[in-house]
Amino acid sequence: MAILVGLVLAVVGFVAGTGILGGIRTSMGLEYWSTDMSWSVGYPVALIGWLIGVGGWKYWAVEWFGGKAATPPKGVKRYFEWNMDHKVIGIQYGVTFVVLFLLSGLTAMLIRFELMNSGMQLFTEDQYNSAMSFHGIGMVAVAVAIMLGAFGNYIVPLQIGARDMAFPRVNALSYWLVPPVAIMLIIALLIGGWDTGWTAYPPLSVLTKSGQVLFNLAVITFGLVSILGGINFIATIIYERAPGMTWGRLPIFVWGAFAGSLIAFFFTQGFAAGLLMILLDRVVGTSFFHAAEGGSPILYEHVFWFYSHPAVYVMVLPAFGAVLEVLAHMSRKPLYAYRWVVGALLGIVAISGVVWAHHMFTSGMEDYLHAPFLVLTEMISIPTGIIFLSAIGTIWAGRLWMRTPMLFALAFIFNFTVGGLTGIYLADVPTDIHLHDTYFVVAHFHYTIMGGEIFALFAALYYWFPKMTGRQFNETLGKIHFWIMFIGFQLVFIPMFQVGVKGMNRRVADYPEAYEDFNRFISWSGFLLGISFIFFAANMVLSWVRGERAVANPWGASTLEWQVSSPPPEHNFEGQPVIQGGAYEYGVPNAPAHARMGTAAATENV
Amino acid sequence: MNRHLWIAGILWVVFTALALAGAALMNPFPTVGAEEAEFSDHAFRLMTYMGAPVFGFVMAALLYSVLRFRSGGPGEDGPPIRGVGAVPRVWLLTTTTLAVVVMIYPGLTGLAELRSDRTHDLEVDVTGFRWAWVVQYPEGFASQELVLPVDQRVKFNVTAPAGDVLHSFWVPAFRLKIDAVPGQITNLYITPNELGDGATDAAYRVQCAELCGLYHARMQMPVRVVTAEEYQAWVAEKAGK
Ligand SMILES: [Cu+2]
Ligand SMILES: [Cu+2]
Repeated sequence: MAILVGLVLAVVGFVAGTGILGGIRTSMGLEYWSTDMSWSVGYPVALIGWLIGVGGWKYWAVEWFGGKAATPPKGVKRYFEWNMDHKVIGIQYGVTFVVLFLLSGLTAMLIRFELMNSGMQLFTEDQYNSAMSFHGIGMVAVAVAIMLGAFGNYIVPLQIGARDMAFPRVNALSYWLVPPVAIMLIIALLIGGWDTGWTAYPPLSVLTKSGQVLFNLAVITFGLVSILGGINFIATIIYERAPGMTWGRLPIFVWGAFAGSLIAFFFTQGFAAGLLMILLDRVVGTSFFHAAEGGSPILYEHVFWFYSHPAVYVMVLPAFGAVLEVLAHMSRKPLYAYRWVVGALLGIVAISGVVWAHHMFTSGMEDYLHAPFLVLTEMISIPTGIIFLSAIGTIWAGRLWMRTPMLFALAFIFNFTVGGLTGIYLADVPTDIHLHDTYFVVAHFHYTIMGGEIFALFAALYYWFPKMTGRQFNETLGKIHFWIMFIGFQLVFIPMFQVGVKGMNRRVADYPEAYEDFNRFISWSGFLLGISFIFFAANMVLSWVRGERAVANPWGASTLEWQVSSPPPEHNFEGQPVIQGGAYEYGVPNAPAHARMGTAAATENV
Repeated sequence: MNRHLWIAGILWVVFTALALAGAALMNPFPTVGAEEAEFSDHAFRLMTYMGAPVFGFVMAALLYSVLRFRSGGPGEDGPPIRGVGAVPRVWLLTTTTLAVVVMIYPGLTGLAELRSDRTHDLEVDVTGFRWAWVVQYPEGFASQELVLPVDQRVKFNVTAPAGDVLHSFWVPAFRLKIDAVPGQITNLYITPNELGDGATDAAYRVQCAELCGLYHARMQMPVRVVTAEEYQAWVAEKAGK
């Protein structure tokens, strides 16, 4: 209902915004409608209409005018409108991004169908470019936001013993900015798509079709989601920890979320600014990137990668946290080298800001920049190595309980090893100059993002599913999902390394016949990979609706979220939790329990 | 505990040996058509060899743990090994050393070598525009086929018209690419050292490697590396008409 109101107000806003613009334009003797300009003006107004409609007015803004905010409903209804409970928001994020994940995955299936044979099958070149671009930005959005959005929101406050996030209203706001992003990308496809991938390099993005404008508006909005989320996590983790929850006792997932949020907060502006400059070039006629008028296309690449390389770590650092979390609890051992891991996470935050130009070794940028970026990029392997040390040290001699989340966490180690080692070829200028923009790169980043983060995502999803839904998932379906996905994944992406080295470049609708055998194999493997998600979706739906009721602590884990019911009570804790020891004291003789539930009056200092 | 370490250590050696053997036997490369290609493939192989023990280590530890350290539930705790003291330090030292080695060789040394030699026997201008390539030869004619004499060092001046978009000049057989930036000239030096023909070998094609819109995939131009005599004849024929 609220969503319907939101949509209606969005349309009203859009018509009003474009109408006023149209009036001004007509009075100046111009045409009423200009796709680029009308969308740029209509969209922000529509966005405000949407936010008011979905509950931003009823539950928040009305207070600014002396009114009284409404009380949110209970039950299933609350998921479909503005709600400030971090647990509701976590589920909203999770479901929205899983749907976007499946949608972008479906596009990947269409892409693999097209690439099965040399020549054009399903698409025209134009449609292919749009499908590829949609797959790209859809998956990037999922990868950036799902870990923090779903599990960061739901789990972090529980793990640190907080009643909610530091800024619940901002949290609701940032979630409700997400649907417009998805809607805009879909409208962009409907009005003819865009063909600049997710990277939107000018001058092409300045010169191409109007779908680009919708892309830019959507992704700038998404940047706002990311920044608001980042601020919220940073503040929550600094200020909302329960008594006794020192920095040295924080569960590692919280550290991962903290490190990822720092990056989201510091760097996202870069991307947003770059996209805004493209909009200005298109709509107002500035010439940031018009070479003919003195602009510089390479400038954009610097601004873009200044964000977009660190973005990889917004995706991966929370994933590191989730994987180590699952490994420690399911191996029943203390997290190996905890302090080193924390240092490594913060080290990655620091280095991630100074490696961006490794994406530009063939861009024609100044020669003297190559050496420092080569060195800095390869330095990242040092803190990343610590994460591996911790993962391996944690499972070594443990009591490994091979349930679905554990399988995904272990697969993460394998995939990320392949992803990390192949990254060295791309950091090294002599090999990168050949491999850049080939399928080798496609395979590499799918190993780190899909093999790494998305496998970690499924580890987290199965691990916390009982806590978040109050139901237990079906273990057999979970294992079928894992094995088909794991094998399918290897069969898709290993041959991609090879075909890339052989000379197939990325983002192509067609390729020389010489690469046909590889591509046919990759496509069939891709369909196998696709099938695994049918088992996943079936498991999620069936288990959520009529799975077995979950107990409070099905994994026997030590951290705080498992010490409350599944799902947790409305305000998370009945009393005030007090932290009295480390988060992973498995097997430590006489170790105090990580947390105890104190009375509401406990007043120990943080 | 010691026995576990021994067996995992042996596994490590086995996996590393397998990975090294695989790396030595593999030939993932397209046709080697230039000195720069030999150089790039050499670096590629070297990094594969260096990666083998790392890959072997992770696989040995992972596989051994998965096979030997199982349990059926959260009943019993593992040993409380915390990972403080010597192990992380040694690990840090080892990974740092490895990273520094790769940085220097083949990284920085390779970079220096790629940039060092600025001499050339032939200089051609390549322009990329949506969606085709054209080569301008010093004799004053333009061609939609890139024909080069074997064993001659060629300097490419690559560009795109000021009102166009980014493209990237790439010949897989030569292993080098450089973006064609509107209104700017970028350079590439290549020494083809094998005869080759784009009609029969996909590695001999100029392929645009930077997304440039509608027909990006089709933005190709055949490459032919010929003997000095054939090249002279071809130039004479082209310049003549
Ligand atoms: Cu990067
Ligand atoms: Cu292109």
